Amino acid sequence: MGLVLITRFTLLEAMRRRLFLAVLILSILIVAAFAILLRIVMNASLGNSGSGFNTQLTELGEGAIITVLAIWMVYLLSSTLTIVFTANMISGEVEAGTFALIVPKPLTRVEIVLGKWLGYALIVCVYTALLFLSFLAVIHWQTGYWPTDALSALGLLELGMLALLGITTLGSSLVPTMVNGAIALMLFLGAPTASIVQFVVQIFKPTSSPTVQPVTTIINLIIPTDALWHGASFFLLPPAANLLTLGISLPTFNTPFTSGQPITPALLIWAALYCIALPALAALRFHRRDL
Amino acid sequence: MTQTYGEPIIEVEGLRKVYHRLVAVDDVSFVMHRGESFGFLGPNGAGKSTIVKVLTGLVAPTAGTVRILGQPVSNLAMRRRIGYLPELPTFHRWLHAKEFLRFHGRLYGMRGMALEKRCREVLELVGLAGRENQKLGTFSKGMMQRIGLAQAILNRPELVLLDELVSGLDPVGQRDMRNLLRQLKSEGMGIFLNSHQLADVEALCDRVAIINEGRILKVGAPQSLFDEAPVFMVRASPIHKELLHRLGSVALAVQQDEHDPCLLYVEIQKDEQAADIAEIVHACGSRLYGLAPHHRSLEQLFLRTIDASHQRVPAEFTKL
Repeated sequence: MGLVLITRFTLLEAMRRRLFLAVLILSILIVAAFAILLRIVMNASLGNSGSGFNTQLTELGEGAIITVLAIWMVYLLSSTLTIVFTANMISGEVEAGTFALIVPKPLTRVEIVLGKWLGYALIVCVYTALLFLSFLAVIHWQTGYWPTDALSALGLLELGMLALLGITTLGSSLVPTMVNGAIALMLFLGAPTASIVQFVVQIFKPTSSPTVQPVTTIINLIIPTDALWHGASFFLLPPAANLLTLGISLPTFNTPFTSGQPITPALLIWAALYCIALPALAALRFHRRDL
Repeated sequence: MTQTYGEPIIEVEGLRKVYHRLVAVDDVSFVMHRGESFGFLGPNGAGKSTIVKVLTGLVAPTAGTVRILGQPVSNLAMRRRIGYLPELPTFHRWLHAKEFLRFHGRLYGMRGMALEKRCREVLELVGLAGRENQKLGTFSKGMMQRIGLAQAILNRPELVLLDELVSGLDPVGQRDMRNLLRQLKSEGMGIFLNSHQLADVEALCDRVAIINEGRILKVGAPQSLFDEAPVFMVRASPIHKELLHRLGSVALAVQQDEHDPCLLYVEIQKDEQAADIAEIVHACGSRLYGLAPHHRSLEQLFLRTIDASHQRVPAEFTKL
């Protein structure tokens, strides 16, 4: 029961904080601006191309590229929101002294941490889903493109957000808010390192790929957000058969920002465990902490 | 007349708390009984807040045992029966007063109409009726203290733990809070009070423990706690060496006032010796203008106790 109360309280707090309102308004503006810009671009594109089957293919190709770019922006926006919104989840309450009234009440510390985590997980997941679907809807309206595996892409994106939330949850039970925010941000920005290194190696020294692989795997194990994004990007692309008709092979999409292969089941299981283990460790740490 | 109390509601045995290398609380033991109010009196940094944090489960003890209402601190059912107001409480400023009380009431397991009714009652009790829909962010320090007390007594606790009750309150607010706590005490609520204000413990506590540097120095009723030898103010003229010498032979200590050369403070073993003082003054050829008992304030006695624990001054008669 304590867990539900803390979750509800966290949701109420998020609604009341001006940060949430500001993010919501700005997100609506971004989607609106994107819709207007896409409309202009598509009108110009249609004016330059012919008609019939080729036009449709062009639209779909552009739709797929725009989708990957737009959802990458969703990934960046949601990740930033997750870090900014949750870096003070526990440390903020400890620093402010507000836990001094809540902790002595008849509920366990585990309920407090997991209640707060659940509240923020709901906020982050709903926000990501709304932004994701809004961008896809705009793209579909303008280009007719809708990824066949959109929900799989969304699932991986959400898992990425939960992994990031796990990092900030654990961090806020260990270190002050500023330090936690800085660590989460550094990890998040450092995560694409593996993809960039692998991309460079593939171009300049393909024979070294097996040597680089363990490093990439370690980075993905420490912070799986980038690997999850790559997994999501795969599901945003048209099916392989459609790409082949356009003369494009899947490995073409192996870039630092996209992937031509689905995420491996092992990494998917690791990411799921990561999302569960980090908040659990945070609860364990908070359980033993002097306030 | 000795007062009898019920079963123990706070039992602390050999409590020790060390933060890194700093010993905040060192081998503290005490018992508080049902029906009594108990206070911890000590300067800032004495270890009072650490003890109350251990009692409320905010801090884990390094060693020792603590039982509240017969249960360990971690017992959730027991926590429904206590209330706590921390020192300088900080609240979620975006909440309205009623929302704040509702949230804490629900944490206590209270629901529905009973909770709504109790919220109204406690707001009335702490003098915040009509402020239900005001944001806590707009509250003054005194109002914060009042709403904090309201949440501490929301669940009609058997024991309420208060850390520095009147900080932030003006004199009228302090009087109101003391009166309210006296009323709650008369209704059977146990009160554990941490304070560095003697007036609080004197007004509210049946027993007081003086604490300094993490150790209990004395425990007893506020009036008996500073039970010391009587001191008499002697106004006479002239004051000369022989007079001082003869007074010194019968008194425990003699001290001449810094500002008034005709005023002496004479510490004696018992009140009856006052007549001997008068005789000595006359025998030495001086005129006696006044002889009256000097009541040292609790504050002076408290400071003497703390100073003695620091061994900054000798235990015998010192400057008053």
